[in-house]
Amino acid sequence: MNTTFKTDIIGYGLFAALILFVVPWAFAFDGFELNTFARYLTLGMVAMALALSWGYAGVLNLGQAATFGLGSYVMAMHLKLRASASSYNGMPDFMGWTNVEVLPWFWEPFHSLTFTLVAGLALPALVAWLMAVFMFRGRVTGVFVAIITLAFLVALQLVFISEQRYTGGQNGLTGLAPLELFGWRADAYSTSFYYMVAGCLITALALGLAVVRSKVGLILRAIREDANRVRFFGYDVARYETLAFCVSAALAGWAGMLYVLVLEFASPTYMSVPFSLGIVIWCAVGGRESLVAAALGAVVVNMLEGRLSSIFVEGWFLFLGILFIVVVLVMPRGLYGLFSDAVQRLQTVSPRDRGGKVATKATPLSATPAVKEEN
Amino acid sequence: MGHLELHNLQVQFGGLRAVDGLNLSLEQGELRCLLGPNGAGKSTTLDLICGKTAASGGSVIFGGIDVTHMAEYQRARHGIGRKFQVPSVFKDLSVIENLEVARSQHPGVLASLRVFRSRLSGRMDEVLTIVGLHDHLHVKAGNLSHGQTQWLEIAMLLMQDCKLILMDEPTAGMTVQETLKTADIFNSLRGSHTMLVVEHDMSFVRVIAEQVTVMDQGKLLAQGTVAEIERDPKVRQAYLGDEETADAAS
Repeated sequence: MNTTFKTDIIGYGLFAALILFVVPWAFAFDGFELNTFARYLTLGMVAMALALSWGYAGVLNLGQAATFGLGSYVMAMHLKLRASASSYNGMPDFMGWTNVEVLPWFWEPFHSLTFTLVAGLALPALVAWLMAVFMFRGRVTGVFVAIITLAFLVALQLVFISEQRYTGGQNGLTGLAPLELFGWRADAYSTSFYYMVAGCLITALALGLAVVRSKVGLILRAIREDANRVRFFGYDVARYETLAFCVSAALAGWAGMLYVLVLEFASPTYMSVPFSLGIVIWCAVGGRESLVAAALGAVVVNMLEGRLSSIFVEGWFLFLGILFIVVVLVMPRGLYGLFSDAVQRLQTVSPRDRGGKVATKATPLSATPAVKEEN
Repeated sequence: MGHLELHNLQVQFGGLRAVDGLNLSLEQGELRCLLGPNGAGKSTTLDLICGKTAASGGSVIFGGIDVTHMAEYQRARHGIGRKFQVPSVFKDLSVIENLEVARSQHPGVLASLRVFRSRLSGRMDEVLTIVGLHDHLHVKAGNLSHGQTQWLEIAMLLMQDCKLILMDEPTAGMTVQETLKTADIFNSLRGSHTMLVVEHDMSFVRVIAEQVTVMDQGKLLAQGTVAEIERDPKVRQAYLGDEETADAAS
């Protein structure tokens, strides 16, 4: 019914085939190489989550890393408890160093795997919901959303660093046990682990696509263009924005959980400002109008980083900054924008065109664009 | 009791009373034209009814319900629709997507999560036939001509199927032919929909209006048929300043 829908589905299929078949084959099923790539995929997932709120709803969340970080700590807390089962009071080692006597109450539920998996999605979503209620009910828009989310990110990171007794502080949570899921032991350097991560990304993309292809996605695009007009049709704009913001946060939390499994530690740097702005850049490079493109953007930029940062150790951030400026100036819609413009140009050339100039001319009502009369 | 009633409606912007103690009553299915010189408070009155502007006094009763303190989207759910002076279609969305947004009988988030394609049958088909946009379903609204954009907006209003339609200069920028077609559409909506239309084009007003309300400086100046209004000396004074120029103009 819709051309962009077709592009989305084809792009999605190709992307799934790429990460499921081509990538493992290209790396000769080598666990170490695939672990690196699994890391790119989790970053692709968080970029995709940002595209959902930024690209569709026009809500620029500069603090996307906050929900990502929350997800990662949730997973890390569970794994840390498993690793600390034999230590004093079942407490993580760093708590002993800071004279904590008993396991804090909020650590207790993370003994349960089910609770952990649910919390990894629900906690970021809940936090996002609280922010969303304040922001969107109050009709905060544009740059102010960016400032609020960024401020929240900074505050959250400060809390995690300063509460060393409970969070491991600057060191984060290290020395984690491997995850055990239905008797399967997650070994970050195995091919099966890579497939688990790829499967998660494909599932998350499908969920995201379902949301943006439903009427919700349409209303979000309408809100991005003219929120007031949408209100006059009876839609509660704040609720739609809240939904996009919370789904985005839950997906980012999911990506955060995977990230801990890939790197086998959690660190407050996951909530750092440079990391969060990096997500925005990946998303912009790929193209925020498409979830698949945003994910691909993250993978491409991080692969580049992997190659280039080994050559210019300190120069990478400079390169990233220049890349962002170039993208904003030359292709504000990212790689996806270049691609969709090219497709449109091809369609305009074909005679079966329904969208271009040919169709507009055919109407009897638009012989001459009428001049607006004076009152 | 009328379908829409305004009681002593007031709003102030700074020291200016844009609408000052306005009383108005519209019957179910009536088409009322709202006239008045520039700055008379016509558009502001529409803003007050649809909730774009909050009233500083008085009340808006619609269908027996006091909607004075409701948010825009709640009023829209009660059946108040608004067409703006500036064509305000969604330029980045295609014609059919615009109409799908306008099909807002189930505006909840959960209801929207379950809709994946636009049904072209039924109401959508009727509306497209009325406005003649069948061949442009997938054209981006930003690429339509001015006239077509106006049609799309009217189509969106029809799609929304609101009980009360508020229109601000619906024929602005239209050709004579398009204006006539618009008049036809309005006449066919009469009876099933209550309409309040702000319009300057008197030839158009003569075709569509039974009752006309004239405002001046935020107050109700006169009310009656087109012929009565045109004879009313107060109206001539308000529009043309003094009797002499009024005579010269007629």
